[in-house]
Amino acid sequence: MPKIIRQLFIIGNVLLLLSFAAATVRDNRREWKKYQKKFFVLEAKELEEKIAQEQDPKIKESLRPQLIAKKKIRYEIRQMIVKDLNRIDRCVTCHLGMDPLSNPSLTTNFTENPYKGHPGDFLKTHSPTKYGCTICHQGQGLATETAAAHGRVKHWEEPILEPPFLQASCVRCHANFESISYAQAARAGKEFFRHNGCYGCHAIKGWGGVVSEDLGEVASKPLARLDFSSSGLARKDWNIKNWILLHLTKDPMSFVPGDPEGHLGQPIPPSGMPPFYLDFKKDEANAIASYLLSMHGEKMPHEYYVYAPAAPDPALDSAVARGKHVYEKYGCAGCHGVEAKEGRRNFNALGQGQDAAAPDQIAEMAKGREPTLPDTVGTFTRDELKLKIQNGVPSNNIVKFKADGPTPPLYMPAWKEKIKGQELEDLVTYLLSIAKKGEEW
Amino acid sequence: MVETPATAPKIEESPDLLSRRGFMQLAWGALAAFLGGVAANSLRFLFPNVVYEPSQKFNAGPAVDYPLGVSLKWMREQRVWVVRREQGLYALWGRCTHLGCTPSWFGGEDRFKCPCHGSNFSPQGDVIAGPAPKPLWHCKIELASNGDLIIDKAVLENRPGFRENAPYFVDTQGA
Amino acid sequence: MSTPSAPPTQEKPGPNGPSRVPWLEKLLGNGFKLPANPEEIKKEVINSQVWRSVFRGGAWKNTPRDRAAHIIGNVWLHLHPVRVRLRSLKFVYSWGMGGISFWLYLLLTISGILLMFYYRPTPEMAFRDMKDLEFAISYGWFWRNLHRWCAHAMVVTVILHMIRVFLTGSYKTPREFNWVLGVTLLTLTLFLSFTGYLLPWDQLALWAVTVGTNMAGATPLLGNEGPFSSLLGMRINNDIRFGLLGGTAVGEATLIRFYVLHCVFVPVVAGAMLMLHFWRVRKDSFSAAPYAPDEEKFETWPHLISREYVAAALVTVGVIVWSLLINAPLEEAANPTVTPNPSKAPWYFLGLQELLVYFDPWIAGVLLPNIIIVGLAAIPYIDSNPKGVGYYSFKERPFANWMFLFGCALWFILIAIGTYFRGPSWGWYWPWEDWAVHKPPPPSTWSIPNLAGGPLVGLYFALGMALPRLVRKELEWRLAVPTVGILSVAAGLSLKIIHTLLVGKVAFFAKNIPHFGAGAFMLIALFLFVVVFFGFLLPQRYIRNLALPKYAMTMVLVLMMLGVLLKMGARLGFNVKYVFSIPQVNFNI
Repeated sequence: MPKIIRQLFIIGNVLLLLSFAAATVRDNRREWKKYQKKFFVLEAKELEEKIAQEQDPKIKESLRPQLIAKKKIRYEIRQMIVKDLNRIDRCVTCHLGMDPLSNPSLTTNFTENPYKGHPGDFLKTHSPTKYGCTICHQGQGLATETAAAHGRVKHWEEPILEPPFLQASCVRCHANFESISYAQAARAGKEFFRHNGCYGCHAIKGWGGVVSEDLGEVASKPLARLDFSSSGLARKDWNIKNWILLHLTKDPMSFVPGDPEGHLGQPIPPSGMPPFYLDFKKDEANAIASYLLSMHGEKMPHEYYVYAPAAPDPALDSAVARGKHVYEKYGCAGCHGVEAKEGRRNFNALGQGQDAAAPDQIAEMAKGREPTLPDTVGTFTRDELKLKIQNGVPSNNIVKFKADGPTPPLYMPAWKEKIKGQELEDLVTYLLSIAKKGEEW
Repeated sequence: MVETPATAPKIEESPDLLSRRGFMQLAWGALAAFLGGVAANSLRFLFPNVVYEPSQKFNAGPAVDYPLGVSLKWMREQRVWVVRREQGLYALWGRCTHLGCTPSWFGGEDRFKCPCHGSNFSPQGDVIAGPAPKPLWHCKIELASNGDLIIDKAVLENRPGFRENAPYFVDTQGA
Repeated sequence: MSTPSAPPTQEKPGPNGPSRVPWLEKLLGNGFKLPANPEEIKKEVINSQVWRSVFRGGAWKNTPRDRAAHIIGNVWLHLHPVRVRLRSLKFVYSWGMGGISFWLYLLLTISGILLMFYYRPTPEMAFRDMKDLEFAISYGWFWRNLHRWCAHAMVVTVILHMIRVFLTGSYKTPREFNWVLGVTLLTLTLFLSFTGYLLPWDQLALWAVTVGTNMAGATPLLGNEGPFSSLLGMRINNDIRFGLLGGTAVGEATLIRFYVLHCVFVPVVAGAMLMLHFWRVRKDSFSAAPYAPDEEKFETWPHLISREYVAAALVTVGVIVWSLLINAPLEEAANPTVTPNPSKAPWYFLGLQELLVYFDPWIAGVLLPNIIIVGLAAIPYIDSNPKGVGYYSFKERPFANWMFLFGCALWFILIAIGTYFRGPSWGWYWPWEDWAVHKPPPPSTWSIPNLAGGPLVGLYFALGMALPRLVRKELEWRLAVPTVGILSVAAGLSLKIIHTLLVGKVAFFAKNIPHFGAGAFMLIALFLFVVVFFGFLLPQRYIRNLALPKYAMTMVLVLMMLGVLLKMGARLGFNVKYVFSIPQVNFNI
């Protein structure tokens, strides 16, 4: 037998053993063991201090076996099987202070994660053995490594929710969330959503306008359908929460730029969403996102839902006030501005101060505006205005700034199926009341 | 290979580990260790670290909720009787030590009776009649800091003198 | 076992003098002697009835007879000959690829059986079981990674084995049928790997298998999208794809189906074929390497067995290290309503997926792969060159080697394009480009009118078939190759000049080929050179005198292979959709 075969035999066998040993080491060095060990050490230290301070020797002696038990660390993966929701949550493998079996009080004296107990008294009413963790916090319940468990890895689309976005989880079941003290950001978010007229374009589960996408299941929208390429966000931040926030903190035109000049064939307008970011403070944007993140496609068992009666329309005695309420309720503000002050951006619609000769035509097209109502409603009679609201203005009827530019993305839908009867009368009364005087012919 | 070809001249071997023979022993040893390791690894693989059956450990609720006597509250879900006596609480595993049937509690006669072969057990779990060879098992039971009972069916005891003490017995008199 | 057994040694007194424990030996009586040293214990054990009943042949004395008996008398080793020739023993002859493929097959069996203990083939459980293997089960990640990487490695080694067997001419008489078996085993290997691809039930699995199995729907007659399928009344819920998937789309039924195919059906069939394959190897005197007078022969034990062991051990080290360093991929849970962009088939089918860009599905997905398989299997029957059996030789079989390597290169280039150069919407992305960057949509394609395309195709095949046979003169190679090169460049240049002259004047050019850049010019020159070299120069030089049927079969295969290349060039360079098209019968090329 040649020497080389003998040498390869020796080297091969040694390498086999070494590579196998490496596999064994890797398998035994699981990240969660580190946290379990630290937790037991912390507990033992706490008990030792307690024993040292204890005066009564009898009690002192009775605590000793407990200390010995604490020092005997038995590593194990702990999990909660959440039958109703078909989830397996292994979070308590590291977050031992929140394991309902080993620590039923769910409190510890440690202040640091993952050793601390669960803050608040949520778990008194939401038993973790019944609900688990991820149904509220999201993340990957099956995982036992920090990054993967917190869902901050590739191919996991629901990273752990941090406050205030965590409030979205309350809203998923609690229709009465507006009266829950913890969910105040989500309550504010819902109010902002209404006040700024988001409903005018975005329906939620069928209620609202048809100009843009229904947001009823936006929180579970697959990442494959979102295009972050112009967002400037790092790939690790590509998730639905940031997608919603982008729309509220940046100009949607900047990350959904479309192709207004038609390089790729037909001119395509950028995102039609007006620049709401100019109006929103950071916490307002966060509030809206906290509310929208509750719009999840996953269905819960029906007994999980907490129902609330629909809020009745406020009883207002003046027609103008009622009309103003109708204006807000159907989201007219989305295009025509809060309190109808100023029409919002509509790309390549005719607006003021547009210069067909300017070098940056995209900026000029972006000056396109939806009608500013006080300026325009005065030119209509009451019946004309009613007809206008009922039939809307289809996009091909909107006057373009650049004739060969893209069709403006925003248009007025026909509201005749939604706004009718007394509501329509009140709305028209309100609109005519804000028309600028002195421009009537 | 250890076998040298018949034609090869015999080489004088020194006992040194780095000698040819030492190296061959190292190689064979490594192979044996590798195969043993793979076998052990495969065997370990077959012992799951998580199971999808109800936990052997469960929270039986506040201790104060149990009145004197045998409670059937967890019988159906966990196959465990929680028994409160004057001195305290213990948990009996509802599995006959004869052939594994589930005995029934007859309160009027103050005993458990097994439907399969007629073994009778006292509320302490001792065999009164029938073929059962051993007393019923007592489960590990602990009183958590918030007053809940935590019962672990994986840790069992049935010897008199042991089963009356922690962790198989929760003494509610001292507390 | 024919070796006569040595007589039992019980009666003989121990060779090492007095007894060691007198009282015990007295107690046991009957002249019993305790063994004196380890050597003697070993002897006692080996000579015991139990040992001899299990391992025949008594003590190992390392005689030639012993070593031969070791091979003959061992069921696991007896497919080996007792003695092998040095030439077949050489590593650089076989590269150990067949043996390594089989070893990977065994590793896959072992790791696969272990994985089966945890894996449940249902949409609800399969993905969760993958997560458990990764996060909760001891060594779960190890066996899954090992299984995955062994599977990829096996596809590679089986292909390399085929290339080796081709290059050493080892498929020639009497081994023709074993080559056919080998081609079948290659197909089975790909199918095994492909069926396993679905089992993790993540997005990668679901969509790779969707893409891969959609081709079945394009089968002529039997697939609902294939030509003539209306004759048999094929719909999406009764065609061959439906039969393969157990449904109209990849779903629950497909998962259990692929599971059974992957774990039982294909391994059993492949195992049976393997036995046949090995048996043939053994019967055909083990190695094709030619005999030489007075050739030195080596005993299989230990010379061959030790080499086999070393190769297996090192391959095992390789896959273990691979498993340590890189985890098997696992993406989001399978979601039939979300198609990732791009959705790619497993890498070994990406060549086919790339071909789907250039040809209609039934051609790229059904016809071409079948021609490739049948063409491969036919090689021993159309290659009549008796030389070059059992050794590497470009000199003695230049035509066969050049053509085969060219085909393999084309195949791997297609795979490389599909793997590294295709991004979202199957657009062309360089490997260093970010997939998030949008590419402009592909330019519109155009078709050559049939009146021009038909004659073009006819001319290509007619000239291709006839020219190499008509030119009877032996061409001066050193002159011909540069000439063809220069002519190709000249043709490219003249086309460029024609284009420049006409692009402003003729609407056809302005519409369909507005740009004719350096890339298109180089593409034309290179492709023309390759086509003339492989389609004319090589056949003219080497096979013009072949018997007509074999010549015709060879040239059809060669011209089709080059035709694929030409069509690729026409599409990549000039956006040609079809050269010739009869949509009525789905014949579009």
